[in-house]
Amino acid sequence: MKVLPPTLRDPKRYLALELICEVRVSREDFLNEIFSNSAALIGDFGSSQAGIRLLDLNDNMGILRCKRGSEDLTRAILATITRVGGYPAIVNVLGIAGTVRSATEKYIEKRDSYSVPNDKHI
Amino acid sequence: MSGSDYYDLNIHVLADGSSSVKQMLSVANHLGYSGIGITNHIDKEPPSDGSHEDIELVRGVGIEVRNSSKLHGLIGKYRKKVDVLVVHGGSESINRSAVENPNVDVLTNLPTGRDNGFNHVLAKSAHDNEVAIAFNLDAIIKQRGGRRVHALAHFRKNLQLARKYHVSTVLTSNAMSCYDIRAPGEMIALAGLFGMEKDEANAALSTIPERIIKRNRRNSSMPQGVRIIQYNGQELC
Repeated sequence: MKVLPPTLRDPKRYLALELICEVRVSREDFLNEIFSNSAALIGDFGSSQAGIRLLDLNDNMGILRCKRGSEDLTRAILATITRVGGYPAIVNVLGIAGTVRSATEKYIEKRDSYSVPNDKHI
Repeated sequence: MSGSDYYDLNIHVLADGSSSVKQMLSVANHLGYSGIGITNHIDKEPPSDGSHEDIELVRGVGIEVRNSSKLHGLIGKYRKKVDVLVVHGGSESINRSAVENPNVDVLTNLPTGRDNGFNHVLAKSAHDNEVAIAFNLDAIIKQRGGRRVHALAHFRKNLQLARKYHVSTVLTSNAMSCYDIRAPGEMIALAGLFGMEKDEANAALSTIPERIIKRNRRNSSMPQGVRIIQYNGQELC
């Protein structure tokens, strides 16, 4: 198959994101949530235009791709995710970059994973 | 994104919500907030004041009444104690009492059912009495289907009224658990769904809440009947 010339490829944006959740989230669970929330908010038609794709998810940090111009809509979809795999979760967009490499270097590396402090005794 | 101090003025902790003050502060700080307003309902005051070195805790109260006759009394009772006073909207008469009282800071939880009880007359009063209108984004985050459609439609309408009558608007999460908070960037993206511009949404999360807090902190240290008309060389009123 011929590779599409660069001028004909859709411009993309890469969102570096972090999941705040009690457990380590699996890729399947997260994907399910993204697509069901995307379908609920913008429908099949909108989802096809946003071109959301989860590229990488490792230890609750990940890279998500979307089409350029759909970054805000994608963020809104991610914000409507309330649970992943049955556990309450927050998706926090760390930053948006034009390449996977810069998204990883700028926002994912050198970042410690965060978890909510547990103080049930109060 | 950077450079602004973000505030979320409608957050409920234990015994109202399900998370402790410490958890809320930690999550809000991690997501990039400079301060959060704890607005528990009046019968569910937070057990103790938690503190966090990097984030400000703003003391507040949320007043929810079924009948507007009790509202003014409750507002008078809590005004001196808190830095942010939030009234939960309801029927049009409750909303009207709230926006006609200059001691109210924010009118929040406007109903998102068929009738939301907010209109141009109330918008005018809200402007005159400097009462801000809150867009509780949990209505968009947590609801699905028809309810969310209604919420978005009402938000769009209220935003139109707020713009026309220059009513202050704030974006809040109405968080009941620390997992209900969303980062400022996500809040701005959600506000875009009902037509809020980026700079408007940014102000509704940063400068407007900040102004509300400052206004009350100044007022509480002043004797009654005295009004500041100039502050740090800046004209007020």
